[in-house]
Amino acid sequence: MVSENLLTIVMLIEIGLLVLAVGLFFLHGLWLFFADRRLHRLTTVARESLARLVTRGLVNVEEIQALRELPNDVQVVAFLEISQTVTGTGKERLRFVAQQVGLVDRARKLCESGRWTRRLRGARILSRLDAADPLVQKLLADPHPAVRAQAAEWAAAQPSAAVISAMLVLLADPATQARFAVQNALLRMGGLVAGPLAEFLETHSGRAAEAGLRVAESLAEASFGPPALRHSRAEDVDVRVAAANLLGAVADAAAAERLMQLLSDDESRVRATAAKSLGRMQYWQAGSQLAARLRDSAWRVRKEAGLALRAIGAPGILFLRRATKGDDRFAADMAQQVLDLPATATG
Amino acid sequence: MNELLTSIVNGILTKGQFAVLLYFLGVNGWYLILLVSSLLELKLHMLLIADESRHLLLSSTLSPTISILAPAFNEEATIETSLRALLALHYPSLEVIVISDGSKDRTIQVLIDRFDLVPVKTIYEQRIKTKPVRSLYRSSTYPALVVVDKENGGKADALNVGLSFARGELVCAMDADTLIEADGLQRMVRPFLYATDVVATGGTIRVVNGSVVTHGRVAKTAVPSHLLAGVQVVEYLRAFLFGRLGWNRLGGNIIISGAFGLFQREAVLKAGGYLHDTVGEDMELVLRLKRLSYEQGGPGKIAFVPDPVAWTEVPESAGVLGRQRDRWHRGLADVLWRHRRMMFNPRYGVTGLFVFPYYAFVELLAPVIEAVGLVSLVLGLILGVIDWNFALLFYLTAYGLGTALTAFTLILEDLSFHRYETFRDRALLFWWALVENLGYRQMTVYWRLRGLWKFLRGRKEWGAMERKGFRPVTAT
Repeated sequence: MVSENLLTIVMLIEIGLLVLAVGLFFLHGLWLFFADRRLHRLTTVARESLARLVTRGLVNVEEIQALRELPNDVQVVAFLEISQTVTGTGKERLRFVAQQVGLVDRARKLCESGRWTRRLRGARILSRLDAADPLVQKLLADPHPAVRAQAAEWAAAQPSAAVISAMLVLLADPATQARFAVQNALLRMGGLVAGPLAEFLETHSGRAAEAGLRVAESLAEASFGPPALRHSRAEDVDVRVAAANLLGAVADAAAAERLMQLLSDDESRVRATAAKSLGRMQYWQAGSQLAARLRDSAWRVRKEAGLALRAIGAPGILFLRRATKGDDRFAADMAQQVLDLPATATG
Repeated sequence: MNELLTSIVNGILTKGQFAVLLYFLGVNGWYLILLVSSLLELKLHMLLIADESRHLLLSSTLSPTISILAPAFNEEATIETSLRALLALHYPSLEVIVISDGSKDRTIQVLIDRFDLVPVKTIYEQRIKTKPVRSLYRSSTYPALVVVDKENGGKADALNVGLSFARGELVCAMDADTLIEADGLQRMVRPFLYATDVVATGGTIRVVNGSVVTHGRVAKTAVPSHLLAGVQVVEYLRAFLFGRLGWNRLGGNIIISGAFGLFQREAVLKAGGYLHDTVGEDMELVLRLKRLSYEQGGPGKIAFVPDPVAWTEVPESAGVLGRQRDRWHRGLADVLWRHRRMMFNPRYGVTGLFVFPYYAFVELLAPVIEAVGLVSLVLGLILGVIDWNFALLFYLTAYGLGTALTAFTLILEDLSFHRYETFRDRALLFWWALVENLGYRQMTVYWRLRGLWKFLRGRKEWGAMERKGFRPVTAT
């Protein structure tokens, strides 16, 4: 039989753990209760004070002093909360007050910390305040991807030439998190990045090019035409797909011609994307090539070709009707399905 | 003769009880490691999400598109509320596909009436064989809503139909009565944005019983005062907050709840979709995706994200709960049996060498060992081999560490999300953590054993699940 002494010892240890856990659970609850009340009370004061300072635009020294005396956590909560609701002059005033109460300086110190979690925190505070601080720009080269991603988020509101070129470098970032944040930020910068991005696409390939092509597709500037044509000949399938999408967005004659060639690409994803892009351009001259793709071995290509024919209007409908009477069962079936779609359906 | 029997039982008990106790301590010791792992993971996660700007994701054209697949079978009572909540989720490119799996009640009619559905045609590729689709509807007021009415074929079949119609890069598999928090998808999509090797992510499931729901959202959380529901709150917290989160850091997550999971659609289609002939289709799919990633390459990481929350109604009757647990255990047994070649197979890395054996020897066999311990304890008392003091000591020791671990899970919850704020809730949570050892746990042992027995006999029925519907907030 298991020794009673052994059982007693084990049980006493367990009871000790249980008592510790329960004690911590209830004590933490008690602490939370008072901490929440304190935070709520002080944040309300800070919020009201900040709202007055930001909306009136008057420098009230006493009010700023009162804000400065509030605990750090309360300041951060109140400033970040209000930063989401103000823009333009309001944001400038908020930044001024943040500077006066010492929040900006504390955030800068955090950005210089040796611990990535603190740098992240610092970058987040400065991002939310839209503070044009070169320290955050440095964080675009931070070793931790979360910090780089946060710096990229900050950069979206600081579209200088230096920031844009630093951001473009990050399109090749091995960390998806940073890459996504950079793509997002470049998109938010809008037309300003078009020129540098087109140059970037001329000189880069692979993953960086694919990330850039996706941004370029959303920006849809004519200057992306030449790099899109170049990348549509890339070896990497994902790059060719992204290039085909971009060609559809650029939508000029050269793009259409290249897209018609891509309808014969070895990879079905590229053929499908080319068909989709031609449909998006409503390029009726591609009718016969698209109709030929109704016989494609890949379902996705047949579908995109059918929908593209429908998108180009009367000539396309004619091709679809003809395909329903053709000898290819798959082409006829897809054509019929496309013709059966209601007028408003997108497939 | 009686003396001989007593001495035999005595011998078994001597060795058996020691083994059972060792098993309990070993398993709980492992749980302790999981607890520490989840504590570290949670700390990191909380640091990463503090003050993050998720709204940027909302406005981005680069956010992956998501199709929600909501299979519904006789969900007339709750479908409207659940669906309205789904359509109001904060995500930029979202499609909601409700698949009525041959509902015999007025589910489809309710949907047609309340969401202005009109029959439509669409082009879709049927890459997975399913039961025939009767009709397809689109809403004239909610462009993101698609409703599929199909012949009954089970949840897996319904999800497969949804997969065929879905256009999103990611699909969110859920139960039609699950309430996803408004920003749940924004939170759950993060791992897909942060890494290319993620194939599926899962969020936390919490128990809605006892809480107040208004317009398909949990307006006020509360711990239920009903015994079975209350104990399940504690169980769910333990399973998600330290079970799955703990495995995250160790790279061993192989379960994503069928009530709330996000998958790469193409990967699921390539894997062949959900299997029809198993009752553990969600776990089976995840394990198959994991297995295929080892065999064929491609994404295979399963990530658990603790902050996206979905609320679900848990059974409050022993009969329904028993059927659910019996089914879960049958599912586990079935999935492990199907993928048995992964066991101790170095080809499957950590999953084959460590995670799979853990699920087989700890999760699957736990009720057997626990039953042996309990039966031998009772037998020992009847035959007079052990006295009451010893029996009590043994019982308390066996369950003590588990209870302490549960209490630590409550602290984890408190340190991170603290959804239960009042003193009443805290007291109730702790009460249910204690009470679950006095009868409830033993009942689950019986249900799981029953599931194991049914699996051995080859039975695969689901068992009915009764829903009470959510309690609306009182108008003031």
